[in-house]
Amino acid sequence: MMSTHLALQATQLPRSAGIDASWMQFWFTPADSRPLAMVRVLSASVALLLWWSYLADLQVWLGPEGVLPTEMVAQWRLNGGFSLFDFARSAVAVWVLFGITGVCFLLLMCGLCTSLVALLAAVFWASLMLAAPMLAGPADDCLAVLLWCLAIGPAGNFFSIDRWLSLRGGQPIAMPSWRASIALGLIQVHASVISGAMFLAQLKGDVWWDGSAAWWLAVRSESPLMNVQGALAQSDYLMNAVTHSITLFEILFAIGLWITPLRPIVATAGLLAWPLIGILAGEPLWGLTMVIFAVPSCLTRPTSA
Amino acid sequence: MARFSTPQTPPGVSPDLATESPAPQGRPSELIRAAITAALAIYLIGLVLTVMSNSGSGSSALLRTIKGRLFSPWMGPMWLDLGFDYRLTYGQAEDADHIIEVRPTLTSRVGKTFPLEATHASDTRLQEIRLPGAMTGERKARWQRLAKAIAITAEDPDRDSLLPTSIGTGLFDDLGATDVSLRVLRRPLAERSQTAADSSSVELEEVYAARVRRVGGQAAVQLIKSEAAGAVAPLIQPSRDK
Repeated sequence: MMSTHLALQATQLPRSAGIDASWMQFWFTPADSRPLAMVRVLSASVALLLWWSYLADLQVWLGPEGVLPTEMVAQWRLNGGFSLFDFARSAVAVWVLFGITGVCFLLLMCGLCTSLVALLAAVFWASLMLAAPMLAGPADDCLAVLLWCLAIGPAGNFFSIDRWLSLRGGQPIAMPSWRASIALGLIQVHASVISGAMFLAQLKGDVWWDGSAAWWLAVRSESPLMNVQGALAQSDYLMNAVTHSITLFEILFAIGLWITPLRPIVATAGLLAWPLIGILAGEPLWGLTMVIFAVPSCLTRPTSA
Repeated sequence: MARFSTPQTPPGVSPDLATESPAPQGRPSELIRAAITAALAIYLIGLVLTVMSNSGSGSSALLRTIKGRLFSPWMGPMWLDLGFDYRLTYGQAEDADHIIEVRPTLTSRVGKTFPLEATHASDTRLQEIRLPGAMTGERKARWQRLAKAIAITAEDPDRDSLLPTSIGTGLFDDLGATDVSLRVLRRPLAERSQTAADSSSVELEEVYAARVRRVGGQAAVQLIKSEAAGAVAPLIQPSRDK
């Protein structure tokens, strides 16, 4: 009995040590922050587009006389929470908060005072979402995740005004950082989780099994960029192939990010596949946001978990 | 495409970048590592619970309670209490485009110009407002989400009246009326067998209708929900004795 127990211990110890080492290597090994800087520039660009979509109707939605008053939205949020916009009691205050959000995105894209601006951008974006949760879409959700990841890591070490200023001041160039490793790790985790959750959600629908989902996506009027209705109507096989390709890609993306040889392949495929899925689904900005999740895995060779 | 390497891998940095990628600095201290590990573990558990609890299939009371008590209070305000269950489509009627239509029900209106450019009429008297109208892109998508939210919550006793009341009230001034009819319409999805001509002439379906009016003063607003025909008429077939 004792010998069996010792034998078990002997086999278990290296495994637990291996998990511990993998965890430490994945999260804490200092990483190059250039991929994070690219994520910063791309995220801020998409954020500005999404922010812009609120501009024309801002007062109609969030203004004091708007259709989504603070009291109603507070009742709508089942899980509680609050927004900075809850405290905006005048049209000017709404404009000011909204303007600050846009300035944060602009500064984030340029990389000025990046650490502070990334945090503020995440806070203000979350506030804007909570001010009108019923207006938020998939692109908004995924952007929120990216902004929080940027707030964690040193996203301004490259491709930024901050870097230009530090080089001009004679400061040493940025070293690899464990904060970058954590931020990039979280991006990878979320990329996998989002893709996996989509796959599971789709498995619940008959149209993803019988291969007709591509048709139902294409007939929605939000898909004017990719008018493939005619082709899908003519060929069952094409429609089935498009449908099954989407689900196959999603599960490959979710799993492949964790298999070292597959990671750059699925990530690079994601650069093409996510925008196409986004356009077909009538959510092109969401497709672009998903591309941002794939970018670090194309550029880096992160550790295996 | 340039490839960058993290320091834990063998130094495979491309030559032009090698001079700018110095040797890795040390990891954080053990205490910081332990604190971050705990924080990451807590967050990852929260992430799993939010995905499991925010799916369209509902969630167990146990998971809902754990998430609601321990994670939602801090993940919600960060807009991280998300399910990511983007099904894209189930080919059902709910997946179609939704439209909000508001029109005055009384004639006590004054001529006004509606500020939304897409529904800006050439005359100053608006007969009705249809949103998103001729808008495009993400702006259009946001109005459609708003319309869909009205339709989805129509059966939710806690939230069914919130959006119609606030939208109707918010548009009183724009329509120059204090008594409006609000409808949510949707464009049925075209079947594959339908020709292009068939699908272009398809009529909009009404999925929600209510009357919103101001009564007894400025503050009191009344919502009178119109029941669908199926909800008020018996659906029982006359029995046939065989």
